[in-house]
Amino acid sequence: MTVITDMKNEYSKIEDREPLLVISGLHKRYSEGKSNEVHAIRGLDLRVQKGDMMAIMGPSGCGKTTLLNMIGHLDRRSEGKIIIDKIDTGKLSDGQMTAFRRDKIGFIFQLFNLFPFLSAVENVETPLLLQGVKAGVAREQAKMLLRELGMGDRLYHLPSELSGGQQQRVAVARALVTEPSIILGDEPTGDLDSTTSTDVMNLFRRINKLTRQTLVLVTHNRWIAEQCDYIVHMTDGKISHVEQGPFKTEEESK
Amino acid sequence: MGIKSSFMIAARSLMRRKTKNLSAILAVTLGVTLLVGIQITTDTLENAFLTSLLQNEGEVDFKVSNSTTTGYLTAGDKETITDIAPSAVGIMPELTMQVPAMLGSQYDDSVELAGISTNYPQAFGLFYDWKTGNEMDLDALLVSNTSILLSSKQAKKLGLDEGASLPISLTTEFTNTTGIVVEPPTISLTDWTVEPTAATTDYTLNSNPDSLSLELEQVAYPGMMPSLVALFKMNISMLSLADFDYINVTATGTSNVQVLLQFSLDDGSNFNVTSLEDKSLPVDVETLNSLSFDLSPYAERMLRGDAFLVVISVDGMPASIEISEIAFETSKPVISYSSKIERTELEVVGIFDSKRPGIGSQYSGAVLRLEHLQQWLSLQEREKELDRVSSYLVALQTNHFTSEISEEYLQEQVDIVEAAIPVAVDPDTGDSEKIYSVDSARLTFFSVAEIIMTLLSTILTALGLLITITGVLLITNVQLMNVEDREFQTGVMRAVGENRRGITMSMLIENVFQGILGGIFGLIGGLAFGQTVASYLVSLFGTGELSVQPIISQQVVIFSVIFGVALGIITGILPALRASRVNIVEALRGIKVTFEEKSGRNLVLLGVLAIAGGVFVLLINGVIDKSYEGIWLVEGWNTLDEWRNILIGAGLLFSGLGIVLSRFISRVKALNITALAVWGAPVFLFVVAMGEWIPDISGLAPDILIIGVAEIVIGSVLLVSVNLSPLMSALRTFLVKIKGLKGVGQIAPALISSHKTRSTLTFAIFAVILTLNVTVATLVPTNLSTIVETEQDSRGIDLVVSLNIPEANITGLSYVEELYKLDNHIVDVIGFKTYKSLTNYQSYLAFADPYSSEFDYQTDLLPLGYGEITSEQIRGNATDSLDSNWRYDFYLSSFPDDINQPPVADVTDEQLNEMSKQAWDLFFDNSYTMAAYNVSLSEILSEDRDLGDIDFTSFSGYAGYELEDVNVLRDENDSVIENPIVFTDSFLLPIGIQVWIPMNSSETGFPVYQAFTVAGRLDFQRAGGFPLSSFNFLGGGDFNFMDALGNIYMNKYWANQTSFLAEANGVTSTSKAPNQYNKFLIKTTYDMDDPRIQSIAQAIEEFTNTDDEGYRSLAEDNFYVASTTVLYSRIEQSLEMTQRVVSFLQIYVTFGLVIGAVGMAVISVRNVSERKREIGMMRAIGFPRTQVMLSVLLELVVLGIIGLAIGVVNGVLISVGFANMQGATLVIPWNDIAVYLGFITAIAMAAGAVPGWFASRIPPAEALRYVG
Repeated sequence: MTVITDMKNEYSKIEDREPLLVISGLHKRYSEGKSNEVHAIRGLDLRVQKGDMMAIMGPSGCGKTTLLNMIGHLDRRSEGKIIIDKIDTGKLSDGQMTAFRRDKIGFIFQLFNLFPFLSAVENVETPLLLQGVKAGVAREQAKMLLRELGMGDRLYHLPSELSGGQQQRVAVARALVTEPSIILGDEPTGDLDSTTSTDVMNLFRRINKLTRQTLVLVTHNRWIAEQCDYIVHMTDGKISHVEQGPFKTEEESK
Repeated sequence: MGIKSSFMIAARSLMRRKTKNLSAILAVTLGVTLLVGIQITTDTLENAFLTSLLQNEGEVDFKVSNSTTTGYLTAGDKETITDIAPSAVGIMPELTMQVPAMLGSQYDDSVELAGISTNYPQAFGLFYDWKTGNEMDLDALLVSNTSILLSSKQAKKLGLDEGASLPISLTTEFTNTTGIVVEPPTISLTDWTVEPTAATTDYTLNSNPDSLSLELEQVAYPGMMPSLVALFKMNISMLSLADFDYINVTATGTSNVQVLLQFSLDDGSNFNVTSLEDKSLPVDVETLNSLSFDLSPYAERMLRGDAFLVVISVDGMPASIEISEIAFETSKPVISYSSKIERTELEVVGIFDSKRPGIGSQYSGAVLRLEHLQQWLSLQEREKELDRVSSYLVALQTNHFTSEISEEYLQEQVDIVEAAIPVAVDPDTGDSEKIYSVDSARLTFFSVAEIIMTLLSTILTALGLLITITGVLLITNVQLMNVEDREFQTGVMRAVGENRRGITMSMLIENVFQGILGGIFGLIGGLAFGQTVASYLVSLFGTGELSVQPIISQQVVIFSVIFGVALGIITGILPALRASRVNIVEALRGIKVTFEEKSGRNLVLLGVLAIAGGVFVLLINGVIDKSYEGIWLVEGWNTLDEWRNILIGAGLLFSGLGIVLSRFISRVKALNITALAVWGAPVFLFVVAMGEWIPDISGLAPDILIIGVAEIVIGSVLLVSVNLSPLMSALRTFLVKIKGLKGVGQIAPALISSHKTRSTLTFAIFAVILTLNVTVATLVPTNLSTIVETEQDSRGIDLVVSLNIPEANITGLSYVEELYKLDNHIVDVIGFKTYKSLTNYQSYLAFADPYSSEFDYQTDLLPLGYGEITSEQIRGNATDSLDSNWRYDFYLSSFPDDINQPPVADVTDEQLNEMSKQAWDLFFDNSYTMAAYNVSLSEILSEDRDLGDIDFTSFSGYAGYELEDVNVLRDENDSVIENPIVFTDSFLLPIGIQVWIPMNSSETGFPVYQAFTVAGRLDFQRAGGFPLSSFNFLGGGDFNFMDALGNIYMNKYWANQTSFLAEANGVTSTSKAPNQYNKFLIKTTYDMDDPRIQSIAQAIEEFTNTDDEGYRSLAEDNFYVASTTVLYSRIEQSLEMTQRVVSFLQIYVTFGLVIGAVGMAVISVRNVSERKREIGMMRAIGFPRTQVMLSVLLELVVLGIIGLAIGVVNGVLISVGFANMQGATLVIPWNDIAVYLGFITAIAMAAGAVPGWFASRIPPAEALRYVG
């Protein structure tokens, strides 16, 4: 019961502010109609306020990544409603959806998913180019951002020539460069050692503080999750409870 | 882990990675298909060609004929021949003769009648009815001496079809000799007179037709001296004593009479029937009366016409003698013959299929029973001997059609027989000579076919080789992809403890499997391909004579599978090795294995070796081989042989240099130098050297061409490859400026330059194929002058008329004049005399001295035709070389040696005119002689030729010689051999060769040979060529290989020495009177392509070919047939032929394009499937579907267009070379290039769109989950 009360409290709190992301009645079934149908998300509701830094935790197979893919519109939902930045994405065509994804959402992946054949700066500028930004302007912005992220001396390196942390910084830069409404991170530190993970998380927090950028991270690392404002726990395709921060600071945890 | 695990891993990856395996198998399949298909096509073509030639020989391997003066063999010779040819399985007699033939209104100038024995050995096969296919019973059909069987070939020529009902009567002419038995002459007994001075006594002479009686009076002193009276007689008929055996005298007289009877002979000598001095000859009347005087010693003599009779009374007492008869007598009747040509109706009682196996296929004319033809032949000559045959045919095996006899075995057997021929001694000269000669047309065909096939298959193999390279490129490409996208897996395997060998092994097992499957599928594909192309070929060149069964030799089958496996392994080894060397950590981290920037030590060593090799090859010119000039001299760049070394040398040198340099400077710079040099050398050859420096490009050999093309392609591909990165970033800079393509611009160029090897291989496929395509496409328009040019070049000759036999030799009747009368639009008619015998080897051209002991008439004789060109035939103003009519009607493409200097590459029409005039002046000058050169046809015909000996510049001289490169011939006294000159239109004869022409039939019937130097070649390319050249009739209707051999042209003086062009030494059956022409060139007032010329042609044919009207009535001979050729339609035909050849080559190279297309599809599917994840990322960060698809497409399109660009540039550059070579204007086939562009874009679209579309449909989340 306490859980429910907590959630209600949360929602009342959220309602005060502008909701950036509203999910209601979300279902996702893989292999729909087939014998091996998997019901990954089973009627999920969620609201995220602008500027929130939220972590999603849960055991493997509980639907964390699926939920993130739904939010990022990398995959189609089976039913339910998602509103991001006041846009009901259910009504979008594929083309509009792509533009929406390009403009509103930034992705950071566990495996970085940088284009291996593009240099750091080229990886970062690509989303800008897709927005139609002039090549020169895009290049400048990408460089600036990379420099800010401490990658000024690695601008023209290929991903394979960068360390994991450096690659993730590039990935972060690529996600940030279009100034999306929301950044989605799927285990963004999952492939990194703890020091690098710390660096990356510090980076996220800094960005969050500086730009009021909304961040949604999927992780099963408790420590990572605690860097966020609150943690949404999932089991069996549903939110089981929300854990409200602030949690212990980095220094305290050490 | 051992082999077992390698197998398991291989098996698993084969099962799981279906798309990738399929693509690898497909690649091998395509490669093998190409190889097998091309091999089968070439084999099939060769076989079809050889079969069509050999089919004419039926089962006959060689024939034995009489080599002595009598010219015939008899039934008795069979035994001797059986003895000397022990390996023969069949020997049959054959008698042949040529007769004119007329079937209804259809004429053939001559039909060969072959008399064969109806009980010939089984070995020679059977005759089959052309309609029913049933075996023919010759005995039942050939019942009388007018029954003949017609061959289906001849039947078709005479316009018969299978519906014709037999018998049909065929009219021919036989020389019929009739004889009257002549009574033996007696010496007239009247008009004998007494020579006044010879009488020493009184006498009474009474001579009347019945008797000659003489009474001698007593002399003054009887007993002391005899009485004597001499009589003589003039005007005895000139009598050939050969007809008579003896002289009988019937006389009575007193016993004291003695008689001397003497006859004078044509040579001034005389003979005595009785003699006073010679005691062996009786003189008394009694013996005179009973004597038969033997005339046989005088058989060759004639009586001069006077006789001498002396009568003596030995005792001086009165005596008398009465001669009632002096008779010339013989045991046989004396027959007086008179020959007359008579019409005979022969009955065609059956038509046999001359394409069916068996002896029947040997005959293209008509067949009679041997004894019947012997009867006919005996009418022709006085010689009454019936028993004679032309030759004995010998078969060494029974079925040549299913198992071709080996050339070596045949040669061996011919040699054995030749060595065993008995020798006869000529009683006059004491020389011994062989009584038989052996000749094997089959052997000749083998070598002739070889020439043609070497030419053809060289071209096909060269093309095939280049096309096959594309297949290899494709397979390598796919294999490389295999490794690239498996690096991760390999890393894992290495990490879990698999050793390098295991990895190599498992990949090799995979490759072998793919290779075997690919080999088998490729074999099937190749069979289909070969079959298709071969039957297409037949429809292209179809004379209907070629039977095209795809020839699948066992070697090809085995070879293709082995090749498939080998291809799989070889192309797999490098990637497999690369995979086994994978750095585990890097592989797991996904770091791409990149080229080392600097060359390793081993590589540098290789580079140094290449440099050394290159320098060595370059130094061959001038240093090692002094016959070439060094490359530091200007002259060192002006022959193709020098260029061969320059190309190879430069290629090696700069490749090595690039490798070595890349240890010191950056690889890109080093390889740029290599690429530019390797590409530049042949480009320089084609564009600059061929146009300006190399005066004679007639010897352009395929190997130079292949090296040149290969270097151009390799150089250009390398050049683009090393500069791919800057090229792609330029492309990116361009694309990211375009709205809607920014994302594509960011991705596609980067992808291309990141997979440099793969990209290079992909565009290299297209570069190779399109270089060939563009070259071939450019060849057509460049090679062929337009109709307008042709019209100018033809100098107004519109029509060629050929008569089947020379025009009638009747005073006041001239065919030329008759032609003028026919149509007033005919403004000029030039008559020519030509002659060609396909059957009489005594009129063949000899390529070796017929009087030398080494002369072999099987290999040294060829049936070339002869013609006369007189100065009157060449019209125009002789003093004005600018007069386009002057001597320009007959082009000369080569000239006698001392006016062929200094050759200019681009000869203007004026210069050509001037040179042509000079050449003709020498031609018409009887006293002009030219050195003979050491070029021999036997060398060209021999088997040990290599590519370099074959002239590739179409058929304009199958020589490969340049006069400055060969020595003049010297005799045993070391003086230069100089001969009168002749010109030729034969593609076979190299300029400068010494030939012998049989000038006339001597009394013995054997030719007298005169040596000539072939000094010039009549152009057969421009204006459709020399109008009389039979080579120009190629592709127009019936193709007769023998006709295509060409002709030798002599001036009037020399033509007059031959009996086949003039009355050289008395009229013979072949000789012609002056102005007795058989070919006519006609100019009209019409334009060349005016259809009214066709009407004139028809009028000429009507005038000549209508029975008892027009020319036939004027010449009183219904056997005249005129055939006309309108020059314009002939040019059209030859254009069409060239187009057919080119379109065949196009098909050949287009197959490569198909390979490229399929390859591109394979690569595209692989690309997309292995990039699923990247596509997911693209979608995730906001690439619209269209841009995802576009970037897939763009990659292929860009690669295709790079290939196209390289191909077009290279193709055009090579074509510039061809154009330079032919002196033609380069015509770039922009239409074709546009088609290629369209084709490539379409392939890229199709190949990229489908997988791209599927890829763009995958939800990004799913795509992102994809690993390898």
